[in-house]
Amino acid sequence: MSSIGDLSFARPKGRLPAGRMFGAGLLVLLGCFAIIGPMLIPADPAAQDFSASLAPIGGDFLLGADHYGRSLLARLAHGARLSFGLAFLTMLAAALPGVLLGLAAAWRGGWTERFLELSATIVLALPGLMLVLLLLAFAPGNYAPLFLGLSLTLWVEFYRVTKATTKSVLAQPHIEAARMLGFGSCYILVNYILPVIAPMIATLSAFAMATAIIAVSTLSAISVGLQPPTPELGSMIVELLPYYAEAPVHVLLPAMLIVLLVLGLQLLAQGDHG
Amino acid sequence: MRTLRVLFTTVALSVAATLNPAYAEVLKVAGPWEIAGTDPAQTGYVFSRLQVAETLVTANREGEIVPAIAHQWSVSGDGLIWRFTLRENAQFHDGTPVTAETAAASLKRALAGVGVLAQAPIADIASDRRDVVIRLTKPFSALPAYLVHFSTIVLAPSSFDAAGKVTQTVGSGPYRVKSLTAPARLELQASGGWWGGKPAIDEVSYLAVGQGETRALMAESGEADLVFSMLPVSVDRLKANTKLDVQIATIPRTRILKVNAASPFFDQVEERQAISAAIDRVGITKVILRNADLAATQLFPPAIKGWNSPDIQPLVRDVDKAKELLAAAGWKAGSDGILEKDGKRFSVTLLTYSSWPELPPIATALQAQLRHVGIEVKVSVGNSSEIPARHQDGTLEMGLISRLYSIVPDPVGTLLQDYGPGGSDWGSMGWDNKEIQGVVQQLAATSDAAARAPLQARAVEILQRELPSIPVTWSELAIVSNKRITGVEVDPLEVNYGLSAIRWAE
Amino acid sequence: MRNFLVARLLQAGLVATVVGALCFVLMRVLPGDAAMRIAAGRYGPDARIAEAAEKMRLELGLDRPLTAQFLEWIGDVLRLDLGHSLVTGSPVVHELKVQLGASMWLAASALALSLLVGPVIGLFSGLKPGGAIDRLALAGAVIFRAIPPFVLGLILMLVFSKQLGWLPPAGFGSPREMLLPALTLALGLAAMSSRITRNSVAAVAKAPYFAFARYKGLPEAVVVGRHGLRNAAIPVVSYLGLQAVYLVEGVVVVESLFAYPGIGHALVHAVVERDIPMVQGTALVMGLMFVVIAAIVDLLTHWLDPRVRRMA
Repeated sequence: MSSIGDLSFARPKGRLPAGRMFGAGLLVLLGCFAIIGPMLIPADPAAQDFSASLAPIGGDFLLGADHYGRSLLARLAHGARLSFGLAFLTMLAAALPGVLLGLAAAWRGGWTERFLELSATIVLALPGLMLVLLLLAFAPGNYAPLFLGLSLTLWVEFYRVTKATTKSVLAQPHIEAARMLGFGSCYILVNYILPVIAPMIATLSAFAMATAIIAVSTLSAISVGLQPPTPELGSMIVELLPYYAEAPVHVLLPAMLIVLLVLGLQLLAQGDHG
Repeated sequence: MRTLRVLFTTVALSVAATLNPAYAEVLKVAGPWEIAGTDPAQTGYVFSRLQVAETLVTANREGEIVPAIAHQWSVSGDGLIWRFTLRENAQFHDGTPVTAETAAASLKRALAGVGVLAQAPIADIASDRRDVVIRLTKPFSALPAYLVHFSTIVLAPSSFDAAGKVTQTVGSGPYRVKSLTAPARLELQASGGWWGGKPAIDEVSYLAVGQGETRALMAESGEADLVFSMLPVSVDRLKANTKLDVQIATIPRTRILKVNAASPFFDQVEERQAISAAIDRVGITKVILRNADLAATQLFPPAIKGWNSPDIQPLVRDVDKAKELLAAAGWKAGSDGILEKDGKRFSVTLLTYSSWPELPPIATALQAQLRHVGIEVKVSVGNSSEIPARHQDGTLEMGLISRLYSIVPDPVGTLLQDYGPGGSDWGSMGWDNKEIQGVVQQLAATSDAAARAPLQARAVEILQRELPSIPVTWSELAIVSNKRITGVEVDPLEVNYGLSAIRWAE
Repeated sequence: MRNFLVARLLQAGLVATVVGALCFVLMRVLPGDAAMRIAAGRYGPDARIAEAAEKMRLELGLDRPLTAQFLEWIGDVLRLDLGHSLVTGSPVVHELKVQLGASMWLAASALALSLLVGPVIGLFSGLKPGGAIDRLALAGAVIFRAIPPFVLGLILMLVFSKQLGWLPPAGFGSPREMLLPALTLALGLAAMSSRITRNSVAAVAKAPYFAFARYKGLPEAVVVGRHGLRNAAIPVVSYLGLQAVYLVEGVVVVESLFAYPGIGHALVHAVVERDIPMVQGTALVMGLMFVVIAAIVDLLTHWLDPRVRRMA
């Protein structure tokens, strides 16, 4: 199978374009909210107050309260920390082996490539949902299997893109010449390969993080996600969904945070140009 | 050219079929239950509720046993031999008559399988002319109630394959199966041969819709005429809709906290009473169930006649009392606010399951309320089988479950299971009370209402004082119907939804 | 062509064996009592599950040696017999025909709908990267990609079923009923494919041959049509090929929201209820489907770009 990576995503160098600045700014803000927010907001995200059930936005609660009367601001901050952290780790755990194995396959070729290619095909052929469900069955409600299962299905994408792109770079005449002239692998990697694959990996990472968050929310929707009262953005949406007619904005708040995160990552990864 | 014309005609016809009002004459029903499997013990309730198959006797809206396939029955003087006489005009959908042999064969099959019948003291089942004869090993007045259960539906011999497996459901009710696409759709057609006459609506289409939000939208968009089991949050909105009728009935189902009375956390009655006093039942029912009347002040709701004692001390929230009781039981607050006794923290796992969508939210509320009195609760949402599994291996600490007291219409059937010696899967755990076992045995043996009343009151009193399982909320069933139809009635026992009595409104 | 087929067949055989063995091992080392879970799946949460499980234990033969069970399964598969579901009792092949069939219809419709939207938007955004269309398309793609599908589905239901009354919120069997779930999936898919098309088109638009075609004075439409589309289509096709697989399984929430009897929903039930033959059968068939789809995608990219031949 050919891959997304056949084309180059080369980007003009120089000062950051406005779109990327905006994306970076957005990410910094979200990062602050997720990291510092839980420390600054005094409310306990698990403290219930039935008299404040579905309290509106802007009253006693800055961002309203959920059906149990828990502060949504506190839950969003804690949820952002957990979801973004989990998504980042999942992405990292998928991207690192994916990129490294991709490089290895392209560099070594032969049996290494064949073996890796087969492993990737098998992982893709296994229904990803089933893999995550099976792993979760070993330790229900825990982070570790959730995280492992998601990374296990996501690494293939990184692997394939890295491999295909690296191969096409290595096949270019001037690189072949450089290799023959005795330039070290490191030199070629840093100067020729990384600049080409980095922007693509960045784009993939942005979407992989979104995929991870949505996957956790999907699992909550079928009641196999994290256990209550954990504030996690995806499961917050699931919990609040039955109240959509009475408090539509409450339901959309956690979704907005996910949208902003993906938007920030996308802008930063892609900028104004291709 | 000809193919083109055929194509055109097909398209035109299907468009016409969609627009034609005659097409809309199907009664469209939506409910949460999927049709997985054909065995009566698995999915018999779908066929019983939708009136495809019938049992020998059934229960009316008040829970009294009334005739179905059998039009009369009697019991011998020693209480050991029951005779059920079948009506002459009952016939299966394949045209064959319902005979005592076929009925007895269905019942024998139920007796050998997984169903309630195996729990009755039945020695054997036989047929004698028009009678089904059931011999018991000891008197058991609740037997007719057991024969209401959906696993005892009577099926025609053509329902089974050579190996005795059910391959299709050929029953004797007012509707016959037209087509079944498991697990989601069942299409029914009125059967001409029902003893009760021909139903007013000829065709019924049932669709399994698992999500409560979607079911509400099915009703609101007019895509379904009759929708069962609405989410509490959507009931008010549906009531305000002028095109819809909402009917609500309290059903004999109670959500209870099953506690392990053999564990150091719940072995003293004070501890169980403290948990009960720490729970904000009114808050939970207001916020999650949207009806404060469902707060379970005792095990059975008022709708179950004879089993709800109005003069019993109700279970209410009293946080101070809960703290006192816990202190009396030897629990003292530790450094982090969690209670401790003999170096052991009061930290327990609350196991629940998502087969009932309201259980995990109620567990989340209980978690916060118990934290108030210094009890740390970890909520674990799993599969419903984990409760019996961890009951068996003794590792269950606390479970939030939804218990049905009308598995057979007489609650004695459930109490026999739940509070017998050693407890049971969905009943007590590590709690052994000789008195209630005696009371329940006596109740099972007698059908004399005057003798039963004091026994019932006593049973309720013991359960209220000892709290082997702690009642949290009662339940209700909400049914929405479009104003296009009339004659809809809620059956609180969920035995039969009475489709045959529904008519198109004028 | 012949080599290609042989290689693919070998790959299919390998994938089937490994997937089958993996599922077999995983399903059997899972903690918990399988008989209990199967009993709960069969008889529901009100039944006496422990007793039912006792009755079933012998019938199911779960206590037999693992190697014997595995060899038996392999033998059955070779005779094209996937066994019977432990929960519903009907043949796994029959269940797959209904539920996987339903899912494939849904996936195909979603794919078709997304192809109407995604690549077109991507094409216009890619021709002018950073332009107004591109920015709008980016915002749209991010929103549809980042909102969980069940929220998107509910919004569509509220609009098309409740407000407009055009489409039913649930059901299956007719195109009218399939439109809403397909649209829900298609929007998410189009979000991704529009971005990939956009990047692809933007890259092609910068390529020398494209610029040359423009200098030749060919009209814009001809340039795009002749040189742009074909080259830009390659990554899109290979991306969609992958998505087709995700679609068949990854739609579980959309299926349960729209009461659509698909394979995602069935698979979740099967794993939770430890319906071993059902899980193994589904994994096997879906694994083979993946191999087939991968082969089709390869053929397509081959046809679109003969240069791939060199790289393979």
